[in-house]
Amino acid sequence: MDKVKETLNKVPLSGYIVLVIAIAIFSGLFANAGHGLNIFDFDTLNGKFGTMKSAKATFSGQGGSGARDGFLFAFGLAPGVMLAMGLIEVVEHYGGLKAAQKLMTPILRPILGIPGICGIALVSSLQSTDAGAGMTRQLHLEKQITDNELLIFSAFQFTAGGLITNYLSSGSALFGFLTVPISIPLAVLFVMKIFGANMMRAYVKIFCKEAA
Amino acid sequence: MSEEKINHAPEDAAAAAEAELNAKLAKPSLMDIFVRGARKGWNIAIDNIIPNVLMAYVCIKILNVTGLLTLAGKFFAPVMAIWGLPGEAIMVLFSALMSMGGAVGVCMALYNDGGIDERSITIVIPAIYLLGSKIQYLGRLLGTAGVPSRHYPILLSISFLNAGIAMFIMKILTM
Repeated sequence: MDKVKETLNKVPLSGYIVLVIAIAIFSGLFANAGHGLNIFDFDTLNGKFGTMKSAKATFSGQGGSGARDGFLFAFGLAPGVMLAMGLIEVVEHYGGLKAAQKLMTPILRPILGIPGICGIALVSSLQSTDAGAGMTRQLHLEKQITDNELLIFSAFQFTAGGLITNYLSSGSALFGFLTVPISIPLAVLFVMKIFGANMMRAYVKIFCKEAA
Repeated sequence: MSEEKINHAPEDAAAAAEAELNAKLAKPSLMDIFVRGARKGWNIAIDNIIPNVLMAYVCIKILNVTGLLTLAGKFFAPVMAIWGLPGEAIMVLFSALMSMGGAVGVCMALYNDGGIDERSITIVIPAIYLLGSKIQYLGRLLGTAGVPSRHYPILLSISFLNAGIAMFIMKILTM
């Protein structure tokens, strides 16, 4: 019993280290330390909001830094993310994703080497990594796909997982800076996903014959 | 039967209300569907994007203040030059491994600091997603799907290769 108490009361070395760092950060002692030591200052990390230097500045201003600037920038992403998710929800509700699945099913075997039954999981994986992974597991457990097909399909999902959702949500912050139309990087991403799956297809063909 | 109905009138009313609600839920209007999706977007923004981007901005601040960003920029400049990117862009790729939103934040913070320009963002954007959240996906995707762990290295290698090739393609497309 004493041993248990002793273990519970024992403070790891890391505890003291982080405590000292936390005291340093919140105390403000390093505010003007220089030589990079001012990273141990809360105000430095918190940074500053941008200011309205020109009429072109958005609500987050210009010249901000640290947590404050990051927060306002990220907050500015919310409308785009909400709009994209709203549109995707509508497309899904009216069967747009099912249509995509139906169109894709016959081409899955030639382009990816996986059976057409993977269509739903594939389309879901473009929307949600977790949904795609769960469905893939189910397909494998039900022996709808072989071990090798599981690997190929996983390779497709693993690179740029949840592509549509992720690209349209966080990516939207960068769309304004792209020097090409936003569809070009998306097309490249799709091509590379298919390429990656085919690399895995070649790999399993050479090294994983036993599981076929 | 009717007695039962009388006895259970309050429950019937509740059931009717529930049925009405279900009917509404089963046939939502276009606006209801959009709002449902927008709410999902709000949750993604609040639970995922804001904390990750905020962390990325703080990391960039730390790297800036300590001078490590300039150092990393110089050190990785020859490697990143292959794709026509400045050395600092390596930070975008590193942060992408942890979180896609974080990498976008790093991209913006670097852009604001003048570390990268529009063309660099265009070249690196596919790599953010091809390398994105790899550390999380080992568990969330490969673990869930039941992929044996001995195949993780090849799957990771394919992702890195994909990102490298994609940046080459973008470099050519932006020339």
